[in-house]
Amino acid sequence: MNVTGTVAPEGRSLLYDRSARTRWRLGFDRWIGRLLPLLFLVAILPILSLVYYISAKAVPTLSWTVLTSTSPYRTDALGVPIIGTFEVMTVATLLAVLFGLFGGIATAEFLSDRVAGWVRMSANLLVGTPSIILGYFGYFTFVLYFGWGLSFIAGVFTLSFFMTPYIFRTADLAFTSVPRHIREAALGSGAKPAQYILRIGTPIAFPQILTGIFLAMAIGVGETAPIVLTTTPGVLAPHSIYSPVTFLTQLIWENFAQAPSTGLQTLAFQAAFLLMVTVIILNVVVRLISNRFRKRLEGLYQ
Amino acid sequence: MILIGIIVALIGATSFTNFGWQFFSFHWDPPQNQWGIGVFLVGSFLTAVPALIFSMLIGIGIAVASTTYLPEYLTRWLDPFVDLLAGIPSVVYGIWAFVIVAPIFGATIEPWLVGNVYFIPGFGPPIRSDGLGILISIFILTLMALPITTLLIRDALRSVPKDLWESGLALGATRWEVVRRVAIPHGRRGIFSAAFLGFGRAFGETVAVAMVLGAATNLPKNVYDTGNTVAAQMFELLDSAIGGTGSPQFLAALAEMGLVLLAISLVVNILGRRLIASLYTEQVQGL
Repeated sequence: MNVTGTVAPEGRSLLYDRSARTRWRLGFDRWIGRLLPLLFLVAILPILSLVYYISAKAVPTLSWTVLTSTSPYRTDALGVPIIGTFEVMTVATLLAVLFGLFGGIATAEFLSDRVAGWVRMSANLLVGTPSIILGYFGYFTFVLYFGWGLSFIAGVFTLSFFMTPYIFRTADLAFTSVPRHIREAALGSGAKPAQYILRIGTPIAFPQILTGIFLAMAIGVGETAPIVLTTTPGVLAPHSIYSPVTFLTQLIWENFAQAPSTGLQTLAFQAAFLLMVTVIILNVVVRLISNRFRKRLEGLYQ
Repeated sequence: MILIGIIVALIGATSFTNFGWQFFSFHWDPPQNQWGIGVFLVGSFLTAVPALIFSMLIGIGIAVASTTYLPEYLTRWLDPFVDLLAGIPSVVYGIWAFVIVAPIFGATIEPWLVGNVYFIPGFGPPIRSDGLGILISIFILTLMALPITTLLIRDALRSVPKDLWESGLALGATRWEVVRRVAIPHGRRGIFSAAFLGFGRAFGETVAVAMVLGAATNLPKNVYDTGNTVAAQMFELLDSAIGGTGSPQFLAALAEMGLVLLAISLVVNILGRRLIASLYTEQVQGL
């Protein structure tokens, strides 16, 4: 029987090769494999430093009364900004879910490929647009052109435009990635498109859409420029849609930019701490849902 | 989604006024009716380009480590940290940089640089003691662009077919040689798109930069000096103009700054997205 393939010439198989060049190659590979992971420190150290210092500045002075007292803005309490943030985020999220979900379903199910491509592209571009541009747009459209003034409603609309593309993209992706055989089985056995979307598509796509919503919330709650440019800090919690409203990020910016005294800075750090915790929790939730979702989807494909 | 169109139309409509090429001059002096944004454009590029270079280099390093060298049980814990960098709000970065990082830069890093690498143009004295300026902005922008670049490069490297990895290894190449000669060339589109989108992020970043760059209106003398970017300058102007004291010229100047910023970020984003889009169609067709 012939031996095919190449055989290393006497004793020079690569595994036993001890020439300088091979030693250099293997050594380089080993060392770069040890050094490159150190680059993770570039990402991890700042995160730890940020979390540590902001907690250190905020936690000792943080108390239940600071969080809940609704004494007027910019004194010593965060009650007003927290209520403001909560209200703005609730309405803005609802609007963004409305726009994003309808847009996503329409794009995934009804639009022709060409149009859908354009819509997806513009959603992607909207994600990449600097937030200052959206703030500027909101300022000109809602505050000046519609004459709403610096108000709750102008901030809500601007922020919801900011959040919409994130929800849109996940809704679109979720409905497009419903397994083809399930979609065709539903439509083939006589379901109307609306029935398919409500009964079949939505339950399958739901977890992914949920991650999109939480992601959009995490990004929206940390947005500063659109909010600062479209609302003005209110002394009290908003009582009508045209009244001023205070957002946490706005409080940080205002306290930082205008009056860098110790008390206001402490308040800014407390607000930053709250924001950070909120964002981290939202991110963890996103991760948990998407992990669970991946398992479910794998089950679906089997 | 028609919003993009609205934005372009709106900004275009409010800005076709009386500046012309004067607008790109280096003379910003509103009381004298001089509205040149050259200083801010220079500031934008001066901070965004180095930040992009750093974040690309670090991003490639992290992505290679994560896809090639580290075992899965480690990357499962390490990768989320990088993703978390993307989630931290920019005001939080800003306040952290201003209060915690700037003193470190002012007291330690910048004096060291002046003492040791002063011979590089732009790194010589004088320095400011508070640490605010170009250098710390580059640092912050690097951190903010890092998750985008890392994520996209990681995806690009993961999308290299396993066959190619294994045939490379089977031919006797080391892991580094496979990454260098096979995986990076194969994923180059994803890597380029990471560069474009990371640049878009760094270029358009507003609040954090407004907090640490120092809001100057003259050209920076060296890397320790203060400056300003288009986005941050717009933000500060709008924030102070909101009281309602805007002259028509003032609003027009803002509109043109917005237009310039939007144009640059749109070009960068379209290029980046097209690269990814063609990447995906290629993969789908390949299946």
